[in-house]
Amino acid sequence: MSRLLSLLLRDLKSSVGLSWHLLASQLVMPIVYIFILGLTLNRVIGNVTVNGTTISYVQFLAVGVAFSQLMLGASYAGAMIFFDKRMGMFEQILAGPFKRYEYFASKILSVILQGLLGSFLVLIIASPLLIGLSLQPVGILYVLYSLFFASLFFGSLSLLISAHVKTDQALNVVFNSILPPLTFVSSIFYPLEIMPDVIKAIALANPLTYAADVARFGLFGMSSVTFPYALFLLPLLSTISLALAMRAAYRISL
Amino acid sequence: MVRSLSSVAIVLANITKEYGQLKALDGVSFEVKKGEIFGFIGPNGAGKTTTIRILTTLLTPSSGEAKVLGYDIRKDSDEIRRRIGYVQQQPSTEFFMTVKENLDTYGRLWGVEKEERRKRAEFLAEKFGLNEILNKGAVELSIGERRRLQVAREFMHDMELLFLDEPSTGLDPIVKRTLLDFIKERAKSDGVTVFFTTHIMSEAEYLCDRIAIIDKGKIVACGSVEELRRKFHSETVLVLTVEGKDEKVIRLLESVREVDAVLDDDTSIRIFTNDPYSQTPRILSILLKEGYHVTEMRVREPTLEDVFVQAIKKGGPK
Repeated sequence: MSRLLSLLLRDLKSSVGLSWHLLASQLVMPIVYIFILGLTLNRVIGNVTVNGTTISYVQFLAVGVAFSQLMLGASYAGAMIFFDKRMGMFEQILAGPFKRYEYFASKILSVILQGLLGSFLVLIIASPLLIGLSLQPVGILYVLYSLFFASLFFGSLSLLISAHVKTDQALNVVFNSILPPLTFVSSIFYPLEIMPDVIKAIALANPLTYAADVARFGLFGMSSVTFPYALFLLPLLSTISLALAMRAAYRISL
Repeated sequence: MVRSLSSVAIVLANITKEYGQLKALDGVSFEVKKGEIFGFIGPNGAGKTTTIRILTTLLTPSSGEAKVLGYDIRKDSDEIRRRIGYVQQQPSTEFFMTVKENLDTYGRLWGVEKEERRKRAEFLAEKFGLNEILNKGAVELSIGERRRLQVAREFMHDMELLFLDEPSTGLDPIVKRTLLDFIKERAKSDGVTVFFTTHIMSEAEYLCDRIAIIDKGKIVACGSVEELRRKFHSETVLVLTVEGKDEKVIRLLESVREVDAVLDDDTSIRIFTNDPYSQTPRILSILLKEGYHVTEMRVREPTLEDVFVQAIKKGGPK
C-alpha cells in the first residue's frame, strides 16, 4: 500500500507540473459551455422535465459538462504512461521495488483524483446556477459514487487503449475520435427520454449516460429511466474495464 | 541448473534473447562476484543493454537461467528489484520537478524516511555539484546536468547491486572522475557490487576488477584487465604515423604475413603483430617502395582498448 501511495504522490506531483496550464485551460471549455451555451439555450429550451422532476436546462447541462470534463481528465492515464516513457521514468520505475500493477493502478488512481477535482471545480464554477438547491448528504454520496466509477471506467479505458497503440500521437488520435461520439451519444447535453430510439439504444451502452443520470438524481432527485440499473451497471462496467486494462497493460513494452 | 553461492552476485548460464529472427543474446554465460566492480564492454548493439534489462528483470530471456543476488530472475523478480539500483542509458528525470524535488521524490519512491532523504540529498548535491541548480527545474537543465542528477538520484537509496548502463555519457571529465571515484568508494565501503557497461575503455580500465567483452550477443572474453592482457600478450602493438595515409596503406599493411590486424585510427595506424621488431624493417620497406613517408613509429604494450579490438576482431583470444 505504501508503495502504491508513493507512486500516486509522484504521479500527482509530476502531473501538476505537467498539466498545470492544461488543467487551467480545461476549465475554459466548461465555462463556455455552461455560461454561454447553457444560459443561451436555457432561453430556448427553458426547463427539462424527467419523470416529474423539473430543472432548468442550464442546471441539467452543468452536471453533464462536469462529467464531460471528468472523461477528458481520465483519458490522460494512458498519456501519462507515454510521458513517463519519453522521460525515461517508465523503465526506471519498473526496475524499482514496484509491481507492474502498482504502477498502472497509480495512474488510474491519479486520474480519478484529478477527475474528481476537475469535476468539483466545474460544479463550483456552476454553483451560482445551482442556488436554491436543497442538497442532502446522501445526494452528495450519489454524486461521488458516479464521479468515482466514471473516472475509473475512463481511466481504465485510456490505459487499455495505450496498451494497444505504439505512440502517444496514436493514443491522441484514438481518443479524439471516440470522445465526441461518447459525449454526444449520452445524456450529457439532453435527457435520454427525448432521444430518437436508435441514439437512445446506443446511449444506453455508454457509461457516461449512467454516471450523469446518477449524479442528477443525487443533486436534483431527477430519476431517469436508467437510474435503477445505473447504480449497478456503473461499478460493473468500471470493474470490467479495469480488469481488461490491467491485463493489457502488462503488454506495454519498454 | 545455475549455482547459487553466497559469494556470487550474478550468474548467467547460456542466456539467449531473441526478437523474431534477431538473436540479441546468444548463449551468454558469466559470473560476477559479490563486492566486485564488473565491466561489461562491447560495441553499440552488442547486447549490453539487453543483458542489463534481463538482469534487472525488465526483460525475460528466451532461454537459459540467471540468478541475481541468489534469486531467480524469472521467479523472484520482486526480490531482485528491491535490492538493486539502476542507472539506465536513456536520460531519465522527473521533467517537471526541480532538482531537489527529483532527489526527494526518488528517495520517497524507495521508501527512504524524510529526514534521511534530506541528509542524502544534501550529501549527493555536494558530491555531484548540484547545489547551484537545486531549485532549477529539470526541464531547464543541460544534458550534462540532467545526467548528473540521474546518477546522483540513484544513490538516494541503499542497494546491494548497482547496474550502471553507460553512466558517464554526457558528463565532463571532472564529474566523470568524481563519479568513478564515488562508485569505487561505495563498492569498497558498503560492499556494493557494481555492474558497469561502457564503451570507453579507459573508464573500464580505471574502475573495473574484472571485465567481460560482448560482441554480437556473445561473450568473446572475460577476466581481469591483466588476465585479458596476458591472453592477448602475443599481440604487441606497433603504432605508425604515415604521411598521406589512405586506404591503400591499410591494404598494404594487412597483406604483411605476420601482421594479425590493422586498425586505422584518426591520426595513426595500429598494427597488431607477434613480432614487431623483426616486422618493422619489412613494413618500412613496403611503405617506402610505394612512396609513403613514415613520420613516427613506436612499439607499446597493448591497452584494454587494444585487447577489446582484438577480441572483437577475432571473436576471442588466441
